[in-house]
Amino acid sequence: MLHTLLSKLIKNSAGKTRFLMALVGMSVAIFLILSAVQLQVNYYQLLHAKDNQDSIANFLVVNKIMTDQNIGSSSLSEEQIKDIQAQPFVESLGNIVPSRFKAAIQSNSDRFPFYTDIAFESVPSEFLDITTKDWTWTEQSNYLPIIVPNQFLDIYNFQFSISQNLPQLTPAVVKMLVFKVTIQTPNGPLSMNGRVVGLSNRISSMLVPESFMEWANKRFANSQSANASSRVVIRTKDPGNPMLVSYLKEKGLTTDADKTRFSRYRQVVDFVVNISGITGILLLVFALLIFTLFIQLTIASCKDEIALLVLMGSSPKQLKRFLMRRFYPPNIWIALIGLILISVTQFWLFQFLKEKQIFLSPYISAYTVMAAIGILLVIALVNHQSIKKWLRQKK
Amino acid sequence: MEISLQSLIPIPLKDRKLHEQSGIWKKNCLFHQAEWIKIQAPSGTGKTSFQHILYGIRHDYEGAVMYNHQNLKDFDEDALAKLRQEQLSVIFQDLKLFGNLTALENIELKRLLSPGFRTSDSIQEMASLLAIDGILHQPAAICSYGEQQRIAIIRALMQPFDWLIMDEPFSHLDDANIQKAASLIASECKARGAGLIITDLEADNHFNYQRVLYL
Repeated sequence: MLHTLLSKLIKNSAGKTRFLMALVGMSVAIFLILSAVQLQVNYYQLLHAKDNQDSIANFLVVNKIMTDQNIGSSSLSEEQIKDIQAQPFVESLGNIVPSRFKAAIQSNSDRFPFYTDIAFESVPSEFLDITTKDWTWTEQSNYLPIIVPNQFLDIYNFQFSISQNLPQLTPAVVKMLVFKVTIQTPNGPLSMNGRVVGLSNRISSMLVPESFMEWANKRFANSQSANASSRVVIRTKDPGNPMLVSYLKEKGLTTDADKTRFSRYRQVVDFVVNISGITGILLLVFALLIFTLFIQLTIASCKDEIALLVLMGSSPKQLKRFLMRRFYPPNIWIALIGLILISVTQFWLFQFLKEKQIFLSPYISAYTVMAAIGILLVIALVNHQSIKKWLRQKK
Repeated sequence: MEISLQSLIPIPLKDRKLHEQSGIWKKNCLFHQAEWIKIQAPSGTGKTSFQHILYGIRHDYEGAVMYNHQNLKDFDEDALAKLRQEQLSVIFQDLKLFGNLTALENIELKRLLSPGFRTSDSIQEMASLLAIDGILHQPAAICSYGEQQRIAIIRALMQPFDWLIMDEPFSHLDDANIQKAASLIASECKARGAGLIITDLEADNHFNYQRVLYL
């Protein structure tokens, strides 16, 4: 009731258009800032989620850069491996152990003849992108499971088979083939059956189970340091991390350059987030300035009424409360509408990406809601301060 | 609440010789709780200045105004608002109504500033007593001065107070209306156990004054 009477006295004489302009500016500002926060949260979620297929990005195979100086000593020393493991950007590290014996594979079938010398590597299973129950080996096993890089199959299907007039193979067919693996031991050749149990995108190497590698290196190795690593695989939260890149460079190490494309994605996301965030904050500052100006104009144009109200015994608190109620509630609506819009976008994004096997939360993050509350608090503070200041000046 | 004036003199009046005969300027006075005081003052002696000083609007004076031993100059804006809402009510000579609000809204605004003290029915009662119930919904700006004076009187009675300060409150009223208004004010002051200070040009018998002072 008092509010109604005060509304009659203190009119928005500073102009509805200007007020509307301030509100539009504020809406865009709040929307941009909240989008930036949500985008950042989504990006981190994608980067860290276990169920996203894009996880190759998180695994890097690291080895020495081969130069004239280190030819013959390409292995990483214990100290070097420990140092890599101690870096903050390395979540976990696995040794890649090469085979130290001669081996060859050859077809069992005449219809599909092939023979090649070959070398294997092994990594701890948690670094593989393939989980299969076949990935075990004991001395009693009937066959040696092998994981082959997808690239090998591509090379075979799109180059080799065409040039040799051989049939093309699907991954399913490759997994059915049983071939002969021959190892040269000090006591002559040792043959066993081998079978491809999976095709990997992560590590470009012919992989065998660690148990086999340990067993074979111990028994047939033609050199010392039976299980030393030639290279390591690391799991990292963010392969685009500049610290990681500069560390590798400094230590003379290198990794799969192709994976830097993910750091380019990160740059794009960072760029969008920054532009959106900075534009949002700038707009917020301008909108706040217009609001402050608006409050000042309203108070200035109603200074006689305000003076008389104070004479009648209105306390400064009552006037402040009234002016806050007058100027503040639109901001709450704006923030709410902003949150709703972002929620809708997020849900749409969730559904859109789900089809592409990328899993995002269907709901907006708590950080976004917190950012909205934070912005509202800032607006409240600025409004309150400018009302206080201008009321005092008018008196 | 006691009001004590200590060597009070508005700075613009300081150099005039007027205050030599004054019962208030540059004197020490004590106004007791519930005392009814008439201050008679010819034009130009600082009648309105006196009211404005008591009400805390003007600060260009020497000496001190003490409310219950508290210097008015020490009141901050919140304390002043509390004083004006609960202890001090006023009828200005120039009335100070909001011209764009109706008569009723002017009174209602004051009532709502001291919520719970008076019901809106009491406005109707007082308005009909002072014969302005017909113009309650007119904007105050287009009411006659006499009507505006009665609006201001009712407005002043919408709040609790220890003192009612009036500056020529009946200047534009006829005798019959003065009588009605004065008896309404008297009964309201008695009900509150409140004092009144009325400043006017001439002597009068509107109230049973306990003291008459000359400015």
